[in-house]
Amino acid sequence: MPGDPQTSPAPGRRLELAATAEGQVLTLYGDWRLHDIESLWQALSAIGPTAALAIRAGELTGFDSAGALLLLRALERAGVPAAQVRWLDFAPEHARILDGVRRRYAELAAAATDLGAARAGMSPLATLGRHTVEVGALLHGHLGFFGAALAALAEAFMHPRRLRVKELAAQFEQVCLKAIPVVALVTLLIGVTIAYLLGLQAEKYGANIFVVDGVAIGMTREFGPIIVATIVAGRSGAAFTAQLGSMRLAEEIDAIRTLGLSPLQVLVVPRVLALTVALPLLVFVGDALGIFGAMLVADPLLGLTPATFLERLRDALDLKHFWIGLAKAPVFALFIAVIGCRMGMTVERDTRAVGLATTSTVVQSIVSVILLDAGFAVLFQELGL
Amino acid sequence: MQQRSGRVAEVGNPVVEVERIVTRFGAQTVHDGISFALARGTLTALIGASGTGKSVLLREIIGLVRPDGGRIRVLGTDMWSAPATAVAAVRRRFGMMFQDGALFSSLSVAQNVAVPLIEHTRTPAELLAPLVALRLAQAGLAPAVGAKLPSELSGGMRKRAAIARALALEPEVLFLDEPTSGLDPATARAFDALLRSLVDDLGITVLLVTHDLDTLLTVVDRVIVLAEGAVRADGSVTEVMRTDDAWIRAYFAIRTMAADAVRAR
Repeated sequence: MPGDPQTSPAPGRRLELAATAEGQVLTLYGDWRLHDIESLWQALSAIGPTAALAIRAGELTGFDSAGALLLLRALERAGVPAAQVRWLDFAPEHARILDGVRRRYAELAAAATDLGAARAGMSPLATLGRHTVEVGALLHGHLGFFGAALAALAEAFMHPRRLRVKELAAQFEQVCLKAIPVVALVTLLIGVTIAYLLGLQAEKYGANIFVVDGVAIGMTREFGPIIVATIVAGRSGAAFTAQLGSMRLAEEIDAIRTLGLSPLQVLVVPRVLALTVALPLLVFVGDALGIFGAMLVADPLLGLTPATFLERLRDALDLKHFWIGLAKAPVFALFIAVIGCRMGMTVERDTRAVGLATTSTVVQSIVSVILLDAGFAVLFQELGL
Repeated sequence: MQQRSGRVAEVGNPVVEVERIVTRFGAQTVHDGISFALARGTLTALIGASGTGKSVLLREIIGLVRPDGGRIRVLGTDMWSAPATAVAAVRRRFGMMFQDGALFSSLSVAQNVAVPLIEHTRTPAELLAPLVALRLAQAGLAPAVGAKLPSELSGGMRKRAAIARALALEPEVLFLDEPTSGLDPATARAFDALLRSLVDDLGITVLLVTHDLDTLLTVVDRVIVLAEGAVRADGSVTEVMRTDDAWIRAYFAIRTMAADAVRAR
């Protein structure tokens, strides 16, 4: 029976290998197409090395280029040179598909690189080195952009008519007015939390009243500016990068330049200016809401009535703390805005890069805010403030 | 086996059937009863002035935008009333090339082409790379292009890469949105030849939206003209050219005008 190619196959049978006087004969049955590629590939492992192989396709009902590729690949795997194979009974449309793939087969087989690592992997040391160089280049670029942005700001002050007032107002609305609810909510909750935690300790010593000192000084001098700057970095810094990055992809920034305008003047100055003005205002809102939150819990928790709380607040809170906190805000804002704008304007040519740049903006902004704050702490200590 | 008998039964039936499609955007009616059917193994172009809803119609056919009325069947399955599994099965049997390619920007070209193969077939690992290379070759790209990122390709190559991805599952139908827009004439003509070979060599049914007169005149079997929400003309290029309609005459006159202008120099 194996010698008789006329035998009808068992249902589901895809191929039959028979030994005849002229060599092996491989008969294909049914549908040889992509959707069955796995089972066909396994069935083809039956082919062994042979000098003379004939492939009969008289029973083939469906054939596509994946089927042809599969067949040729299996011949290669079995060590049978395709040139010595006799191709029998292929229907004209199947023969055309087969020829199309055979013509290119050498080229296709050579392309058998692995898909997983289209970008070659690097050793950890090389990765570390590359990242170090990249960070250096990034900081170098930031420095240049920072200078250019300051020069553009100075130009805007010298020639106020070049300032984009409408854009400035729109940005101010975005970064300041629309940020008030989230800033208020977060700082209120922080105020509540600090008062609660301080209260637990202070109560042990009967020092309830000093909770007011702790909250007022802590909130105005440190927590207010840091927390608000972090919110703004996540909210507005990320938005700057995403907006400018998308504009760069859509070639809008090139269009601005081509129209003889300066992207720095049109896009960066309004954003930097708006954020520099907005952040101190938001910090003020944050300070007020944080203290208010503390006052809310002071009454039920510590027995401090609002009147007592406010009286103590007036005595305890030296205004210098408030001013120091407020003075840090524009510096934070400058860094957040410049980093956000530069990361957006240097986005590479695809959408993935916008996402990466936005993430990077938030990380860089928050880290620089913390570093600046540490610097300020040392500076004010030295100045005796 | 079932697959095979299904295919045999389909021969002769239209591959794509569009029946009395109505589309409205707010108060504006874009399509008002559009009907046509595509026969297997044909290359059909959908043309019309800007704003006549060609791309919208294409999106309705492939099941991305829901029409306000009418029926659409692709390979015998109603795209808007069949169960989700049936629609998903049909989606694996047609390919779509979006206007700018819509390649996944975080993946290399080869990985883009491999996505449908990995998701929908159980292609053995040692066959995947040559199969991807075959798809690239069928779209007229060298295997080396596979290692590049979409952002590193020229416009024409990006379109070819998108075709390679659309061809990944050996589709029976291929939809293309403005395949030659933004290409230089030589590249565009090579693209036309590629489309023709997909129809002739692989037996794929192709429907494309185009503005390109040369595509129509050289490779297309049939032209469907959309105007004012309806099919204004439908037939071979020569039949459509003879239609007595102002827009169609103006459209085809551009060619004769250009030829006259060159001669006049």
